Formats: sequence, C-alpha cells, structure tokens
Amino acid sequence: MEYILPLEDCHSHFAELVGGKAMGLGSLLRQELPVPAGFAVSTHAYREFVEVTGLDRAIEMNLRHADSLEQQRRASERIRSLFDESELPKSFVLELTDAYEQLGHKGMAPVAVRSSSVSEDAADASFAGEHDTYLWIEGSEAVAKNVLRCWSSLFTPQALSYFQQFGLRAGETAMGVVVQTMVAAEAAGVMITIDPLSGDRSQISIEGSCGLGLAVVGGEVTPDRYFVDKVTLDIRSRMISPKSIAYRFDSMAGEVRRFDVPEDEQLKPCLTEQEVIAIATLGKQVERSLGAAQDIEWALGQGANGSRDVYLLQTRPETVWSKKKASPLATSQTSIMDRLVGNMSVPMRIV
Amino acid sequence: MTTDQPNVVHRFSSPFDVETASGAEGWEQMYPYYFHFSEENKEWEDGMLWYQDGVHHPEVLYPFDTITHECWRTALGQNNSRIFAIPPAYGIEQRIVNGYLYIAAVPVSSEQRMQERVEVFVRRAGDYYANWDQIFDQWKAKMVDLIGKLEELEVPQLSRLDIEEIVTERRGISSGWKLVEAYNAVIENMFTAWQYHFEMLNIGYAAFLNLFMFCKQAFPGIKDELIAQMVAGSELLFFRPDDELKRLAQLGIDLGIADKLRVSRKPEDILEDLRHDPAAEKWIESLDEIWHPWFYFSNGAGFYHHHRSWIDDLTVPWTALTGYIDRLERGENLARPKQAILDRRERLTSEYRELLPNDEDRKVFDENIKLARLVAPYIEDHNFYVEHWHHTVWWNKIREFGDRLVEGGFLEDREDMFFMNRWEVGQAFADMVASWASGGPSGGQKIWKKKVADRKRIFDALHNWTPLPALGPVPEEITEPFTVMLWGITTERVRIWLGLGEAVGENEIQGVPASPGIAEGRARVVLNSSDIGTIEQGEILVCPITAPSWGPVFSKVQAAVSDIGGMMSHAAIVSREYGLPAVVGTGTGTRRIKTGDMVRVDGNTGLVTILPKSS
Repeated sequence: MEYILPLEDCHSHFAELVGGKAMGLGSLLRQELPVPAGFAVSTHAYREFVEVTGLDRAIEMNLRHADSLEQQRRASERIRSLFDESELPKSFVLELTDAYEQLGHKGMAPVAVRSSSVSEDAADASFAGEHDTYLWIEGSEAVAKNVLRCWSSLFTPQALSYFQQFGLRAGETAMGVVVQTMVAAEAAGVMITIDPLSGDRSQISIEGSCGLGLAVVGGEVTPDRYFVDKVTLDIRSRMISPKSIAYRFDSMAGEVRRFDVPEDEQLKPCLTEQEVIAIATLGKQVERSLGAAQDIEWALGQGANGSRDVYLLQTRPETVWSKKKASPLATSQTSIMDRLVGNMSVPMRIV
Repeated sequence: MTTDQPNVVHRFSSPFDVETASGAEGWEQMYPYYFHFSEENKEWEDGMLWYQDGVHHPEVLYPFDTITHECWRTALGQNNSRIFAIPPAYGIEQRIVNGYLYIAAVPVSSEQRMQERVEVFVRRAGDYYANWDQIFDQWKAKMVDLIGKLEELEVPQLSRLDIEEIVTERRGISSGWKLVEAYNAVIENMFTAWQYHFEMLNIGYAAFLNLFMFCKQAFPGIKDELIAQMVAGSELLFFRPDDELKRLAQLGIDLGIADKLRVSRKPEDILEDLRHDPAAEKWIESLDEIWHPWFYFSNGAGFYHHHRSWIDDLTVPWTALTGYIDRLERGENLARPKQAILDRRERLTSEYRELLPNDEDRKVFDENIKLARLVAPYIEDHNFYVEHWHHTVWWNKIREFGDRLVEGGFLEDREDMFFMNRWEVGQAFADMVASWASGGPSGGQKIWKKKVADRKRIFDALHNWTPLPALGPVPEEITEPFTVMLWGITTERVRIWLGLGEAVGENEIQGVPASPGIAEGRARVVLNSSDIGTIEQGEILVCPITAPSWGPVFSKVQAAVSDIGGMMSHAAIVSREYGLPAVVGTGTGTRRIKTGDMVRVDGNTGLVTILPKSS
C-alpha cells in the first residue's frame, strides 16, 4: 500500500484510499483541466499512523458516550491534542518529503494542505467546511505538521456532530490529504453549475471576491455574483457588491492574513467579463465530463506569461438539487393541444 | 353590465378624466363614433385597463389611416372569439384619446364559458396545425390573388361627358358609379387582406407561447430571445429584398457600371440614364425582374399612408446598394451567415434539450419545438405579403381616389384625403358623383377643404400631447396570452408605468433586452424612415420603431435602440439576425438621447446609458 499517490491517479475506485477531494481533482486532471500541481496522501498512511501510535483505541474510547454537543466538544479537544503529541512514522515522513520536494521551489514550494475525507460520499453530503485546510505552507517539516493537523481535523466538534447526524462512526472513517501548489489568487470563489435557488439547469452561478477564496467560502464578504447561461455562455446578470476584506499572503508575517480593502476599491468587480466566461466554460466542461451538476472552487492566479489564469481547486457533486427527483413538467401522455390550452390560461401577475 | 371585478390594486387615470390636448378642441369629429369613450359604455369602459398601442400605432392617427387598426380590431378579435375560440381570451377593444390608439384585452370571465371553448379550440386549431403547410400555401395564393385584384382595380376619372365605351359596349353603368363601386371595392380589399392576416396568426402565436411557457418553466433564467432563436428560420422573406440588393451590387461591379450607380444624383434620374445605357442593359433587366415584389417593401410598418415603400422612393435601397458596392470593392463578404444561424439554432436546441432532467420532458420539448417551428414561417413571413406587398399597392391605389377628389374640386391636394376618415371619403364620393350626375351644385367642395384645413391645425396640436402609457384600473393579474407576446405588456412594464419599477440612474434608460451584446458609440436619432439616409457607419440607431425594410441600415449600425417593441418585434428579430446588440421598448429613448450623444447599449440587460461627454 502506498502513502502517496499522484493526483491524476486518484480514480473513483480508490475512494476509500484518497477521499473525495483528491478524487475530484484526479478526475479534473484526467480531463486535462487546469489544476495546481500536487499529490494525495492516502488514508492508508492515516490508518497505519493511528494503529502504530495506538491512537485508534484512544479515539474509540473518547468517542464513547460523546452524544451531546458539549461531550463532542470535549472529546474533540482530547483527541486532537493526542494527535499533536504523536510522532509521524519515519518512513512516511521520508516519502512525504520526497513528494513535496518534487513540487520545486528548491524544496520550499508554498502549498495548500487540504483534508480529503472519505465520508463525503458515504453520506452523500458535502461536509463543506467540516474539516480543515491550511494555506501557504512552506518547507517539508511544516507540510508534515499540517498533514497531521488535517488528520486530526477529522475530529473537529462540527465533524463529530455531522457524523452523528448522518449515522456514521467517526472511529471507522479515515482521512486523506491533498497537498497542492498554492495559487496566489487575485480573485477566487465558487461556482455551482445550476441556479441553486430555482434549480435551473441551464445556468452556471459564480460567486467571487478579491484575494484567496477563504472570504467567499467562509461567508466573510458578500461576493460579486454572476449568472451565466450554460448553453450560450452569455452572462445573464451580474451583481457587484462592496467587498470590504480580502485574504492574501503577507510575506512579512509569512502567513495568510485578512486585509481591509480601501473603500474606493470595494466596488471594483473582481472579474472581467472574459474571466467570468472562462470560469463558466470550465464549469460546463467539468459538469459534462463528470455527468452531474458540480460545486466547484476556483481561483484566478498568475499564469505562465503573467496573465490571470483560472485554476480549479476542488469539485464535488452538487448535493441539493441533484438529490431531488425532478418530476416531469408536463406529462407527454397529455396531448399537445391540452398543454396549449393550459399554457394560454396561466394568468400574468401584474402586481 | 359588469362582470366580476377582479382585484384592483392600482389605478391609472380614468379615460373619462383625460383632458383634451391644448389647441386640439374638436379632435373627436375626425374619428368614427365607435372609437370614442362614451357615456353609454362608461361602466364597462371604466372597468378596463387600457394601454396605448405603442407597438403598432405609436403616432397620432390620421383619420383615414384608422382603417388599419379597424381592420385588425375585427380580424384579430373574430379569430380569438368566434372562430378558434381561444379559451381565455376574446379580442382587443380599441378607443382613441387625443388622436392616440388605446387598446384593452377583453377576457372570457366565466370559468364555464372558458371550458366550453376548450373543446372547440382543440378541434379547430388542431385541424389547422395538422394541415398547416398546405393551408399556408393556399393562404399565399389567396394573398397573391387579392393583390392582383387590387392592381387591376380601375379608378375612373369623371369627364363633362362620359366616355364613348359606355354606349358602344352597352355597359349601362357610368364612370361615376364605377368610381363609387371602386371605392367600396378598395375598402373591402383592405379588410379582406386583414381577414387573411389573422387567419393563422393567433393560433400560430399560441404554438409559440406554448414553447415559451415550457422553456421558462424548465429554465427559469433563460432569455426570451434564446427561445426565439431555437425556432427562427434563416430564410425570412424580410431579408430577401436586402439580399437582392447585394446581388445587384455585385452585378453592377461585374458589369463595370459601379461608378455610374454611385454618381450623386437622384436615384430615379440615375435609373432613367441607365435605361438608355447599353452597358447597363443586363443590370436593368435584373432589376426589373426582382422589382415586383421585392421593392414593394415599406420603409415603415406599412400601417400608415406615409410609410412609403422602395418603389415610391428609391433613397433607402439606393443608399444600401451603393454602400454594398463600396464594401464589396473593399473585399468584404456580404453574405448573411445562413448556415451559421441554422447551426446555432440546432446547437441551442440540442443543448437545452440535453439539460432537461428526464426523457418525459425531452419528449414534450420535442413536440413543442416541432409545433413552434411549423408555425414559424407564417409568423415571420405574413407581414411581407400583407403590410408590405399588399399595402404598398393599396396606399398607391388610394392616392388615385385622392386625385379624383382633387379633380372634383373637393380637395387641394391628394394627400389631404388622409385627413378624412373612410366613411367621410365614401360620403364625399356619393356627393361628388351625384352632383356630377345631376349637374347641380355640390356643397362638399367647400365643406371638405375647410374641414381639412381645420384638422391640420388640430393634428399639430395633438402631436404636442404626450400620450399616457395606460388608463384605468390595474387588475392583480391578466389572463391574456397574447398581450405579452405582441405588445410586450409585462408585469415589469406596467410597474414601470406605475412608477413602481426599479429606479434607474439619471443617464440610464431601461428597456427590454432584445439581442445580446454590448456596444458603445455615437447615437443617431432617426424619427422617421425618410431620415435613414443620414445614418453613418458604426453609429447606434435610436428610433421610435423599426420596420423590416430598414434591413440595410442594420448592416451599417452597431446597435439599435427603439422606443417600442417586444422580444418578437421587428427590431429585435433583425438585430438578432445581424448579431447586433439591441434594446427595445425603452419608451423614451428618442426623447432623451440626442444625435451625437455617446451611448452604451447593453443588449443583455436592456440598459441604455448616455455616457458623459469626453473633451
């Protein structure tokens, strides 16, 4: 069993081995879509780690009777501190370091270390934001430390209550991790390849803000919104909002930090029209190749020749509308004449 | 009698409270009694929502020209009400206020009556859909026959002694009576043309509406024009005259007479010279071949006597022709991208189809598309036969009657006849012919000249009045399937009229997005078709309404803005065809934008912005 897998090898039959996020990125890469370079840390690495360290038994003990929110909070605290105190196996650290150093930048490539839980598909739920992601991590030691933190984020209080709600046993699940080159995003956000409000399948809905995607995903700004026709890729409508904060890398502090945006720049659209269309085009492509509506994270970063290029950071199946069984709008059992009469008789509301 | 009053939530002013436009006292006597709001019908009339028909009749109505809306009042109405029994809708009523046409949809207010009508509609409309193409072929033959009869119609002159043939051919009928008969026939001919106009139109629109409603339900955010594009053909008759001009431009170059066509003289004079020029023989031959019917193309909607056609004034086609020669010489390809349009139609249709969630919906979608495409050629082409070809002949024929009135001393000028309504012209002929027969004096000679002079004054006063967009109570909802499609009366529109709409900025004008894309450029405000020669390459056309024959203009401008119109209006269709951004139904575009202003036209959102003047 391997600890590390190239992202493009993360097929769906490895779901148990790499988790949902890695699988999504693998499918994008195999379509030759723009995804930042990186690799997946397998759940095998996680399982071996908790076994060797005896954490598996400690987890189970701590989770017993963790039913109330308060009990879950305390169990989470105890389990996560046990992770922090444990040592990673040498053989794993060697492989991880090797894979990381291949990302270039003389072994100091800034990367994102992201949780890739195997529970996402098991529950047919998004688990959005239940586990952790660490941005702008540099150096193999820091990467290893954050892989460990990702693992322990399997046991955040919110994840524990989510598990309980969907009837999953936290002790039996496992965590994969994705390590990916950081996109120094000038703008970032999410897109859903339908209209999340009406379920309109002919629409791609894009939300974006300046800087890293954190502000949008975390709901810290009202993002700019763009609605694009999926067939023609024309913009149907747009709403530009004042975006008062942005997350960027602070090179002095060596970390990602929240910046205030000067008032006169807040209303500047975060995307050009061409960029909106480029993002939507990718969304359409992803939905087509994966055969279902998608919920996608994207970022606009520096491309090879200084241009602003779109990168896809994550994709997962849209879970709300896709689960609804769409009942036919009009049954073809009725004659077209009946439908004609019906449609003529729909009143137009004036006020 | 009042029907159940629907829930009224807002109210425009009552038609009975509208004051006579200043200086236009006596305007009522220009129009027949049945176009007036009256004390006798007050209760019913005061319960209806009336809106100004800015789509088809945006101008002050010449008394004679009221014949066109009188024609459609009956023709549209009968097909809804009595023939095809459109379940929820009777016809459209008409009234005139200060010279402007107001219309109101008459609903079928009882549920039971509506149910009775369903069965009739299904049977009768179903019969037409089942035999559509064949009926349309017969329809074309009927129209061509009707136009032929109109062209043959003689409008005899009256002489002191009647012509010899009355005796030698034992006719028994005088030229005077022939003239009375001819007038009756020409009026009947117009009404018949409009009977045909609506024969297939209402049920055609019903098929369109069916597809629109389905698509809006399946894809709530889909733009109206995309639904239209899934149906539109690429061979509309509207484009044929323009295509013929392009062909003539190429032929002119091939024959080496391009410069002769381009000399700056009146086109009619150039043509006269070319008729004697051996080098131009083939070109003239080619022009003569297509002249009838492709130059019987109105520069307006064809509804009014002053909407002249290419055959009446060659300025429009000639401007286009010489423009095409210039562009061909520069190596431009002028062919319309017909295949690209068809390809796009197929791509849109199959991609939206694929997005439907299940096979059941796809099956219904296919049926709806099929029916809408079946009716589309009629919807697109009937105007050419009626408003262009037929009306071009008709308005010219009518002018011959004007000549007779001038010769009889009833009018100063043939054009003055348009200040009389159709009944009054009939009376004048009765009077003129009777006094010609008896040899006695006719009072009409003095009466009509005086009335016309008076009416010209009234007419000017009416021009200065700005019509209110709507009158009467606003019901909570309207069950009238065609109002939205034909007149663009949407919830948003009524809200804007009521001042409830979203406020737009001082330099912004909100209209209906009709053709996607964004353009910025210099505005050219064109109030009537005689000014379209002034348009320069790359300008943005701002007009009250556009007509299909403005086609050539669309190859010059980079965007279009109109005061009136909906998603199926001519400006919208033509702009989509030419790939130009267009915003229609702005209401006030021509008043707020001045020629020379820099404007931005957003055909995606319907917003027109007047840009600040740069130094």
